Amino acid sequence: MKQLFKMAFRDILRHKRRSIFSAVAMGLGLTLLLMFASFIEGEMRGSMATSIKLDTGHIQIQAQNYDKNKNSLVWDNLIANPGQIADQISSTLPVIAATPRLFASGVVTQGNASSGVKVVGIDPRSPANEPYKNGLVAGEFLQGDDISGILIGKPLAKQYKLNPGDSINLLVNTSNGDVDQQQFTIRGIYSTESSGLDRAVVFLTLAKAQAITQAGDHASIIFILLKDINQTEAVINAIQATGIKIVPWTVLNSFIMDFQQYADSFMSLFYLIILAITATVIINTLIMAVYERTREIGILSAIGMKSSSIMGVFFIESAILAIGGIVIGWILGGIVVAYLTYYGFYIGDFGLTGFTTGDTIHAYLTVSAGISLTSLTLIVALLAAIYPAWLAAKMEPVDALKSAQ
Amino acid sequence: MRLYFRLAWRNIWRHKRRTIIIVVALAMCMWLMMFYDGLLAGFTDAIYGNAVKVLGGNIQVHEAGYSENSLSNPIMPLGNDQEIAAYVLTLPNVVGASRRIETDGLATSREGSFGVSIVGIEPELEATLSVISKNVESGSYLHSSDGDNVFIGKGLADELNVQEGDKFTLIGRDAHNQMRKRTMTVGGIYDVNMPELEKGIVYMSLQEAQQLYDLNEKSTMVMVTLTNIGKEKSVIAGIIDQFPGTDIGSWQTKYPELTSAITTKSGAMNVFSFVIILIAGIGILNMLLMAVYERTREIGFLGAMGIRPGGINFLFLLEGALIGLVGIAAGILLGLVFNFLFQQVGMDFSKFSNITTYAALISGRVYPSLGLEKIVGRVLVMLIVSIAAAFYPAWEASHREPAEALHYV
Repeated sequence: MKQLFKMAFRDILRHKRRSIFSAVAMGLGLTLLLMFASFIEGEMRGSMATSIKLDTGHIQIQAQNYDKNKNSLVWDNLIANPGQIADQISSTLPVIAATPRLFASGVVTQGNASSGVKVVGIDPRSPANEPYKNGLVAGEFLQGDDISGILIGKPLAKQYKLNPGDSINLLVNTSNGDVDQQQFTIRGIYSTESSGLDRAVVFLTLAKAQAITQAGDHASIIFILLKDINQTEAVINAIQATGIKIVPWTVLNSFIMDFQQYADSFMSLFYLIILAITATVIINTLIMAVYERTREIGILSAIGMKSSSIMGVFFIESAILAIGGIVIGWILGGIVVAYLTYYGFYIGDFGLTGFTTGDTIHAYLTVSAGISLTSLTLIVALLAAIYPAWLAAKMEPVDALKSAQ
Repeated sequence: MRLYFRLAWRNIWRHKRRTIIIVVALAMCMWLMMFYDGLLAGFTDAIYGNAVKVLGGNIQVHEAGYSENSLSNPIMPLGNDQEIAAYVLTLPNVVGASRRIETDGLATSREGSFGVSIVGIEPELEATLSVISKNVESGSYLHSSDGDNVFIGKGLADELNVQEGDKFTLIGRDAHNQMRKRTMTVGGIYDVNMPELEKGIVYMSLQEAQQLYDLNEKSTMVMVTLTNIGKEKSVIAGIIDQFPGTDIGSWQTKYPELTSAITTKSGAMNVFSFVIILIAGIGILNMLLMAVYERTREIGFLGAMGIRPGGINFLFLLEGALIGLVGIAAGILLGLVFNFLFQQVGMDFSKFSNITTYAALISGRVYPSLGLEKIVGRVLVMLIVSIAAAFYPAWEASHREPAEALHYV
């Protein structure tokens, strides 16, 4: 066995250049694989984290017949006494925040322009608003029961050339199926670096939102952020209430998960093609090696080497090439992935409305993806050696010895 | 010259097996790129094609300065709109021109509230050209004398929970930037199987919109329908000639995010494809390098017979190019066959129709094109990499001393 390794190793060193090129080809292949895997994973993790933080929370409590697409304000579709339920949850369960939020459809108008927006009523004191508070680019956050203040996103402010202190007209739907409108003063401008959300969402205080929409003491949802995402199950089981729906983040974000599956299936096709192209380089290198060494192989079998050992030499050669390729791939791929993880890849505004995602995607390489892609490279290299090894093993010693080289 | 070609061609087929393996690698690169190009083109065609078909009009003529503010849908009455509409009809490839009013609004019922575009149309003029008039599910299509009757899609009707004859509240912005509220009656419901898109539009007659939104006899745009997509340029030029003060756009300008998404995606694909071509290029490099060793004696022979180093250099570069060309040809064939088959089945995208504003325009399946959009650029890159891969072996071969090479065993 040791001898086989020694032979394989020396054979590889015979054509250093060719071996190095083959390893580089494998290395480039692996680099691409690592880059894509970490990019997709990073995108999905990023969207999920962003979406939970900004949009859905870990758990939502909703009325039985609540429909998130409709922004209905009919009392039947809302949660009554939301403050009380939220307080109870935040005082007894391991949550960062449990806070009522009220959603309505609106239109902001300014000068001769207008935009449809989603109006969100929030309790300004809740820690769940941290991302918006920290993302303030001008002015201040909403406070207390402010009845004339509004918080708008940076893209909207830029589009209408608005600054804190300016006023805009906001029109919203109300619980009786009608609409109401009022002038609001801009208190602050926020940015979450998610253009889709920043463009579409404006904030009022919960009290004001309830008043203008005639929602009474109701909220669309109770937004719950957990200290630890793994406690989702436990917290859901601990919330005791009847006549309401308790929805975990997995359901709230099922769209992202569907999309990930879709992207994954596409990616596996890409992976296969990359590996197939890499494999052709290895196959060719080994086939050439077989023909160069026809006589040698003849001698080896003439002095009694079994054909399985001859095959073994080629498999070992391929594995050594693959290991070289893996080292190169990890160095190159490591640099690219590290760069993408640290600096990210700016995608800008894709006009996404289906889910909330940041404007910059940061790559994320999981250990399991790293291991599985590395072993996949090794496996493909070994598969690529099958044909050349078989070519070598089936040679007749006598013919091989006679062949002129 | 012919001699070199003959030599190179015979040389690459001396070892059929290994040439074929490299050709397979190159063909896969080509196929992958064509597949991706075809898919991207399929998406864009589906989106723009449906935008023209369903939302109407290949070209929109607005008042000057509209496109800078198009995100906020300003109401800017278009001067001499009737004149423009009449003139456009005289241009070649134009099958329809009609006036429209577009403004932002909100449709509400007790069921919920939805941001919508309110569109005032000249129903009689658009009837023959529009898809919605042919897909009436209940009630009837609009008439210019319809008054408070509106025409909405099934997507919106379902969300508002209204049927033909029911009423709902519609708020729209008028020419003086006041919000006007009015109770409207559903006169008809259409169904074009794009619920996400249908949700966002309410149609009414132009007269009604003029009255509601204070646009006395005026409109905000002229919509131009052409015989087919792709004829926009010449017509736009024709309109600008006659009415230099107008702002003319097609659907490409209406969805700037789509353009930026496609640019980013093709950019990523260009990098990606370059790396895989590079991998295949290493295959060519290795193979030619081996060929140099195998043919040491021959190269010596050629040198001894008076072929200059430049000639030998050229011979190897030619071999790289020929392998590249064979791979490209095989790849194009593979790509065409695959894309053609894929075109027959299409790809289901309906699950993701609310992912972006423009994806709402994709109805169910996307059918890729044959993938020939960027074929020239793709072929050139492949060819250049193939030739570049041959440089090193060619240099190696041409620097042999004939006398030594002949001695080589």
